Amino acid sequence: MTIMMPASDEAVLGRRDAIVAALRAIVPGEGVIDKPAEMLPYESDGLMAYRQPPMVVVLPDTTEQVSRVLKYCFEEGIKVVPRGSGTSLSGGALPLADGVLLGLGKFKRIREIDLDNRVVVTEPGVTNLAISQAVADAGFYYAPDPSSQIACSIGGNVAENSGGVHCLKYGMTTNNVLGCEIVLISGEIIKIGGKSAEAGGYDLMGIITGSEGLLGVITEVTVRILQKPETARALMVGFAEVEAAGECVANIIGAGIIPGGMEMMDKPAIHAAEAFVHAGYPLDVEALLIIELDGPSIEVDELISRVEAIALGCGSTMCRISNSEAERNLFWAGRKAAFPAVGRISPDYLCMDGTIPRGALPKALARIRDLSEKYGLRVANVFHAGDGNLHPLILYDANKPGEMDKAEAFGADILRCCVELGGVLTGEHGVGVEKRDLMPEMFSEIDLNQQQRLKCAFDAQGLLNPGKVFPTLHRCAELGRVHVHGGKLAFPELPRF
Amino acid sequence: MDTLKVRDAGDVEQVVRSALASEQPLEIIGHGSKRLIGQPMATNALLDLSALNAVTAYEPNELIITVQAGAPLADVLSLIDSRNQQFAFEPINTSRLLGGPDVGTIGGMIGAGLAGPRRIKAGGARDHLLGAHAVSGFGDSFKAGGKVVKNVTGYDLCKLLAGSWGTLAVMTEVTLKVMPRPESERTLALRGLDDVAANRAMTAALGSPFDVSGAAHVPNSAFRAAGESALGDLGSPQQAVTLLRLEGITASAVHRAAALGKVLAPFGAAEILEDAASAAVWSSVRDVEPFAAAGTLGAWPVWRIVCPPASGGALGQALARDTGGDVLYDWGGGLIWAALPPKADAQAALVRARVNAVGGHATLLRASELVRRNVDVFHPQQSGLAGLSERVRHSFDPKIILNRGRLTRGAVA
Repeated sequence: MTIMMPASDEAVLGRRDAIVAALRAIVPGEGVIDKPAEMLPYESDGLMAYRQPPMVVVLPDTTEQVSRVLKYCFEEGIKVVPRGSGTSLSGGALPLADGVLLGLGKFKRIREIDLDNRVVVTEPGVTNLAISQAVADAGFYYAPDPSSQIACSIGGNVAENSGGVHCLKYGMTTNNVLGCEIVLISGEIIKIGGKSAEAGGYDLMGIITGSEGLLGVITEVTVRILQKPETARALMVGFAEVEAAGECVANIIGAGIIPGGMEMMDKPAIHAAEAFVHAGYPLDVEALLIIELDGPSIEVDELISRVEAIALGCGSTMCRISNSEAERNLFWAGRKAAFPAVGRISPDYLCMDGTIPRGALPKALARIRDLSEKYGLRVANVFHAGDGNLHPLILYDANKPGEMDKAEAFGADILRCCVELGGVLTGEHGVGVEKRDLMPEMFSEIDLNQQQRLKCAFDAQGLLNPGKVFPTLHRCAELGRVHVHGGKLAFPELPRF
Repeated sequence: MDTLKVRDAGDVEQVVRSALASEQPLEIIGHGSKRLIGQPMATNALLDLSALNAVTAYEPNELIITVQAGAPLADVLSLIDSRNQQFAFEPINTSRLLGGPDVGTIGGMIGAGLAGPRRIKAGGARDHLLGAHAVSGFGDSFKAGGKVVKNVTGYDLCKLLAGSWGTLAVMTEVTLKVMPRPESERTLALRGLDDVAANRAMTAALGSPFDVSGAAHVPNSAFRAAGESALGDLGSPQQAVTLLRLEGITASAVHRAAALGKVLAPFGAAEILEDAASAAVWSSVRDVEPFAAAGTLGAWPVWRIVCPPASGGALGQALARDTGGDVLYDWGGGLIWAALPPKADAQAALVRARVNAVGGHATLLRASELVRRNVDVFHPQQSGLAGLSERVRHSFDPKIILNRGRLTRGAVA
């Protein structure tokens, strides 16, 4: 592990038995786990290269218990790491040695399905997919669909602002949540938004979404649901050059078409996926696009032919169009299994998550190829082409000394390259611990200070999920100081009217 | 009053730092088109952003535009329209509702965050603000977000800036998402429904798979005020009309209009408005033309009520009945514009009690300065939420230099 976490508080560790007893008084029975063997499943999340046993795990099942646990930790100065299903790919739920791991896994109930207002009110431990399943009979679904959707929890989705292959057209989590109940570290329970399209006042829902567990613990979420499109069809289009595929993506959007999904894979990813699921992917192309159009048949058929023409114009070497649900699902099967497929051809892999302007794709891929040579590590690229979100998978072997460090350095270089090309460090996986130390590549100290001041408004002692997102922690008192520059200026040199 | 016309972000920093030093709050304006919204402020200097009006970059294929905050909204709209693109959230033009010249800036559009009919499908201003450069109340320029459509790096400060009425930071440049303008539109118009039935029809339409992008209802009483507008011209006067919009490629819009007509058959036969006729009606709904300042209800205070959509019909009907006012519904019932006969408190107590009962919020968007002095313009929040919001504000502007007093009553300059 190359990431430094905040130093453990020995005084807190010394009081461990008393802390466990106090937590047991709030959450009875099996809800408090303190035996090392039983805490093992909580040592890491989806970023499995990082492991750390927590001081103690607590699994409350009511908001009131969450509130009392947090209030206790607040008063005792104990750090808290919230956790949903533990599928974070950036280490957002990585425990702290001197911290309480607060799991929301028992919050598994959908509280209300309100079809007239097109919302579902749910507890945070419900999985993303379970929400869609609960409303499927009525023809509805919840749009964001991260690839971990069978396991990831909606509370975690809110904390990470999760995306998915359909977010180009239907938005990320932040565009699909209307309200929540959160518990602040002080134990205060706050309701934000609800079934209305907008809450009044500052958009606190917007700031909590994607805050990576640093601002509060989510105990209820209100999401909006949509009617399923009448139909969906997909095209599989191959290109002899990555540039041509990139041009095709730009031209589709330039023509005013926003597909339901538009994914790209490069040759190594195509080969790995094809060997794994036999989706019928062409093995002689450099880039493959999977483009899905959804809506009424009459619209989908028309757009399919427009997209096909655009692809031909960009020099596509093959194009297949799905003629059944089975065939559409097969097209997707390879893409959806791309990560495990790559897992089969390499002992380990690192999944990166930068976003670039779409037009910079050929440049980014060329840079990644150069870096691959420089580091002597293979890379396979899958890419949410529609919104410029890259997922380079860096292949390495953790058993070879130094190779994991090399892979991490390679990944950091890719993310630096994304920022240089006008993009950002993370499109959907979050900063967590993984990209924490790269934040200064994208933000100045002033930018980061402003973000940390906001953290102070929620958690002035910095007890919630410390060590994530921000490379340097400042005291709130220091951040809040106003520096008056130059005394009483009289607005010199400005035109007045 | 001093007007400080800034030329660049450096000027903004200087002005805010000077204001901090002299503890003088600033009013932040672009064109000043929305100065009549909010609690009356007691600032004594204007920070005028209208000279920061350049389009920094427009990249249609990336679906983004970067513009300075003082850029005229009308110019930016015609620029993106020339490439068949639009701001999908349909920003409201408040000039008719408030009276005054037809102006406004991009910064004002984001700061107010007032979205039009397509909000039900495309989201609001907050969903389209990808990045911003702004100067905080500390006098520091900072960056929020980025210039790509998909980004979760750090806190999403853009969400806070949108709809903050200039109270957190002075935006100097923003990057916005643009979307393709639909090829065609069709609007189904149902006649003669009362508010509750109309609410049910809109709920049925929005619960259908036909991708409705606008759902509004104009009760018959509101037509007496509609006057010379596309809504006023809409067929036989004095009959309520319920409007449902479908957009997309022509074949699809036509197909869905027919299919939705069948779903709505229990509510009556629908007329269909095409393209230009449809667009004119929706721009009239968006800008709340029946309650225009120059119209017959121009002197009445206007509330903007946001509520759970399926509660809208009953809420609006009761408000109109009990106050003798007129209402107009958008967002499938989730947005109610209510013009109420003038009273000293603009009927705030009654409005807020009714709105609280269904879980919504009400903003007194138009009222005289005297009324706004005596009424909470923005919906009062519960104490925990209000306290948190205040701490959030302090994290950007600890001395409350920016638009002091605009959001809450009783703040003294």
